[in-house]
Amino acid sequence: MEAELAEADIVVPMHLSFKKTQAYEKYPKGQSRGRWKHLKQILQADLDPSSFYINIESPPSTQPCKRICDVTGFEAPYVDPRTNLRYANAHVFKTLRSLSTHQVHHYLSIRNAAPLLK
Amino acid sequence: MPIVSKTRRQTDYNLFPPSVPIVIDNGASYFRIGWAGETEPRVVFRNIVQRPRHKATGETVTIVGDQGPAMMKFFDCTRSGPRSAFDSNVVYQFEIMEYILDFAFDRLGASGSAIDHPILITECVGNPVYSRSKMAELLFETYGVPSVAFGVDAVFSYKYNQRHGKCQKDGIVICPGFTTTHTIPFVDGEPVYKGSCRTNIGGYHVTDYLKQLLSLKYPFHSSIFTWEKAEELKLEHCYIAPDYVSEARKFQEGTKEAEEKTRYWQLPWIPPPIEVPPSEEEIARKAAIREKQGQRLREMAEAKRSSKINEMENELHSLHFLVKQLDQVEEDDIPSFLSDTGSGVQARAGVYCLEGDTGASKSKGEPKDETDEFEENNDSNEKYPLINVRTICLRLSSENPEFYLEEMRAQYKEVLERVEQKKRLKTNGSNTNGNQKSGNVGRGERLSAAKRERMRLLTTAAFDRGKGEDTFGAKDEDWQLYKLMSKDHDEDDERPDSDEAELARLSSRLQEIDPTFELKAEGEPGQASGEAPRVRPLTEEDYKIVIGVEIQVVGGEANELDTDDRWVQPCPGLKERLECGIRMIRPCGSTINVVQAKDPVLDAWRGASAFAADLNFLGNAFTKKDYYEKGEEWLRRYQIGYNTL
Repeated sequence: MEAELAEADIVVPMHLSFKKTQAYEKYPKGQSRGRWKHLKQILQADLDPSSFYINIESPPSTQPCKRICDVTGFEAPYVDPRTNLRYANAHVFKTLRSLSTHQVHHYLSIRNAAPLLK
Repeated sequence: MPIVSKTRRQTDYNLFPPSVPIVIDNGASYFRIGWAGETEPRVVFRNIVQRPRHKATGETVTIVGDQGPAMMKFFDCTRSGPRSAFDSNVVYQFEIMEYILDFAFDRLGASGSAIDHPILITECVGNPVYSRSKMAELLFETYGVPSVAFGVDAVFSYKYNQRHGKCQKDGIVICPGFTTTHTIPFVDGEPVYKGSCRTNIGGYHVTDYLKQLLSLKYPFHSSIFTWEKAEELKLEHCYIAPDYVSEARKFQEGTKEAEEKTRYWQLPWIPPPIEVPPSEEEIARKAAIREKQGQRLREMAEAKRSSKINEMENELHSLHFLVKQLDQVEEDDIPSFLSDTGSGVQARAGVYCLEGDTGASKSKGEPKDETDEFEENNDSNEKYPLINVRTICLRLSSENPEFYLEEMRAQYKEVLERVEQKKRLKTNGSNTNGNQKSGNVGRGERLSAAKRERMRLLTTAAFDRGKGEDTFGAKDEDWQLYKLMSKDHDEDDERPDSDEAELARLSSRLQEIDPTFELKAEGEPGQASGEAPRVRPLTEEDYKIVIGVEIQVVGGEANELDTDDRWVQPCPGLKERLECGIRMIRPCGSTINVVQAKDPVLDAWRGASAFAADLNFLGNAFTKKDYYEKGEEWLRRYQIGYNTL
């Protein structure tokens, strides 16, 4: 261990006195994938109706969607028919048309409006 | 102002008796741990773990928290990114949780054979019983904790503020977190979880959004926009507008107010060296240099010529000798004799002798005269064609070194253009953006074109064998297909080689003789070589928090809110925005009181600490025995009673 690294002491020691079983014994190498259930799986398994986590989730908003320009962030009353991006004025429209397909897709995906099949 | 991590090892662990609880605020962003009853957590760090390999020893080590690059250079981090134990706001990866707890207890100064203190740990609202039980198991089994209590961080913060008079016992707490935002109503001091609401948008999403927008707007600098940098920018410069649309309009119209709010971020940039029109002495100096070069060339030519003249003189002498010999030899034997020595007709030889004389005597004189002499008197042009060639060469290089140079330069330019043209065709493909990005896209397109070609070959050529059956490979000729494919690939690159070879030759020649010639760098076409990133104009930091999803305020009668924003934390304008939003929903004229927590970041921990310090704490906690005896159902319904605060 280099001198300054040891001094900085950022590494978790391998053996800790207050633990009954150490981490390296509990989790032998090469088994970490697929051991833990993700949140979705946890929630599916938990079918009790009184479980809060799912019930608490808010429904999507009933307010009408605010139309904001994808590129500049201003108010955008117009939509480009070719790419489905929103834009604020003609100047922005010019830049829109010069975007590559990759960028267009990125802008749309930020808004969750990207088509599923490219 | 960003949250600072505190990870120094504490030394007073042994001073605390086993009755003092340890309080942990386990958040998706930061982890805070400390002793009950204190106002500040002892150890604070970012709730992530990395498991890189130590470069020197090769062993895998665990590093908890955020570390600067100074320390990380000792480790090979390619295979391990920072990992969090959380999925949204629920803990699911208990191996990582264990590493984090290890680190935390270690830094708190823990020693001895077990953690012998009750623990109060925070969780999210509606924490699934699976996560809760795994956490309890971890604490009881691995760390030997005597008793554990779970609480919700937002509630602790509310109770803390209530105790300090900032809010009443009825109210709603709005807690924007790292990945989620909660609203929890309070009635009579107790949280009503059934009425609470969660939206899955938090500080993380805001930072991510900012990062993506910046990368899209400035694709050339996309490597600078890391998540950490975006977070820094957000914390320092972003604010919440009370009404997004009107604020955006202000920026659109470019009012003075908008100008003041706009922030500019200048990246390091070296301006290209300006072409100053050369001054008098520059011109004079350059002329002198050129003159010197010309002089040098002339001298070189002179030297060559004089050596050639020496050669010719030698030949002359030998021919003289030959002529003498001819005189001596008999008439009949002349042809044979001449053919032996390999020279021309006797007469011609004689003529040449004369001229050779005159040439030699005038060799030091004007070069023009000499060549003229040769031309005038020489009938033997056909017999000695090489003489003329030599003189022409000599003439060009000796008389007009500049002319030669010009010719060379012209040739070079031509070939260079041809090569560049080819390059441009190769890389630009069908994209006519003209942006810097086009280079990358073009190359990608070209690669895929070649790949596509290969696939086409594979599928078509291999397919039309056998009726529906795949008999590819039965015949030896089939395998020639691969040769064809790879040849196709190579041909593409070999064609311009001739041009490039020419280019190389010309450029080397020019470099030798031309003082002002510069080798054209092999940069991307369209970019001056060696230019650092150009001026980075504005990044407008006008921000709206697009919590475009309206936060639902449930449980309508309470109209007092306490905002405890931890991750969106120092965002100015949140309070006003909330007020506006709520006013829109509530009946006209109702009183609205929006209060911000005293210390949005630490209040949760403080509240928890105060709760744990209370004498009745142990009544709220459950022991290992309870956990194993009472079972999952009980654990599901377990909630602490907050009103003891």
